[in-house]
Amino acid sequence: MNWTANDMDTYLQQREYIDTLIVPLLKVETKPENMKSSSSSSEFLMHLTTFIETQFKGRMMLMPPFAYTQSMDLTEMAATLSQDLSVASFKYVFFLTTDSKWTSIEMDGEVIWLPSIPLESMDPQLRKSIIEDQLRQVLPRFTEKWSEQ
Amino acid sequence: MSKKVSRRQFMSYTLMGVGGFMASGMLMPMVRFAIDPVLQTKDEGDFIHTQHKVDELSETPIRIDFTIKDRKDAWYKSDVSNTAWVYKNGDTVIALSPVCKHLGCTVNWGGDEKHPDQFFCPCHAGRYMKNGDNVKGTPPLGPLDEFDVKVEDGFLYLGKTKPNTLV
Repeated sequence: MNWTANDMDTYLQQREYIDTLIVPLLKVETKPENMKSSSSSSEFLMHLTTFIETQFKGRMMLMPPFAYTQSMDLTEMAATLSQDLSVASFKYVFFLTTDSKWTSIEMDGEVIWLPSIPLESMDPQLRKSIIEDQLRQVLPRFTEKWSEQ
Repeated sequence: MSKKVSRRQFMSYTLMGVGGFMASGMLMPMVRFAIDPVLQTKDEGDFIHTQHKVDELSETPIRIDFTIKDRKDAWYKSDVSNTAWVYKNGDTVIALSPVCKHLGCTVNWGGDEKHPDQFFCPCHAGRYMKNGDNVKGTPPLGPLDEFDVKVEDGFLYLGKTKPNTLV
């Protein structure tokens, strides 16, 4: 499900089925020399999360991305975010990011870090297969959590 | 033999001609409006060319990706990539939509090891038979949708989805 009014209606009716929250964490760099790589990785992250959403529409809710700039305090952001997301009462919360800093931060939920792949120069066919490969990489993380119970 | 046309006759012919012309000018659009549904050309639905040859298809469903170019959503134009599960049943080609009828996840053929000859939805373990019929006792409430299929020059064309006609 996407964070749209229509999908939200479905979610509110089917809460027992849609139990997983996907939260993209997006680093926005403002130094001119880093802007290109920052935009590239945000493109990658958004493509990937959108693809995951279409594959698991009926079980996952995709949140709008949480964006932050390079000097923001992530530990504080993590604490506030964990606290606020716990109100939403999703059984499973996954944070997807291309920023490796998150791997060392304590969060309520699973942090999935992925190295960014520059998709911009690829033709659509290749881009699709790369994104599919990436999903295959993260899929075990999801199924592992789902089967825990 | 020459038959004189009198002034009166000439006038009445001319008036009839002009009047008739004007009347038809008014009536024609009205008639057109009235019978418009008949004149409407049947929209064949936009069939999308896929790169797949029909000869290469088999009884086992394979995934075929295709792209709808320039789909217009209000003023927003985009390429939409779409997927179908396609297989042959005798000589007829069958294309099923991968969208689960439960909550819209994407189903896979043989995604569940215990049921290799069924479609499987990874979200809530919904299952469908090969013809798209939902397995009773799993979450989906209806069969998978079907694509309109057309074969031209040996290539497969996919159209719009329609409710399953095989079940």
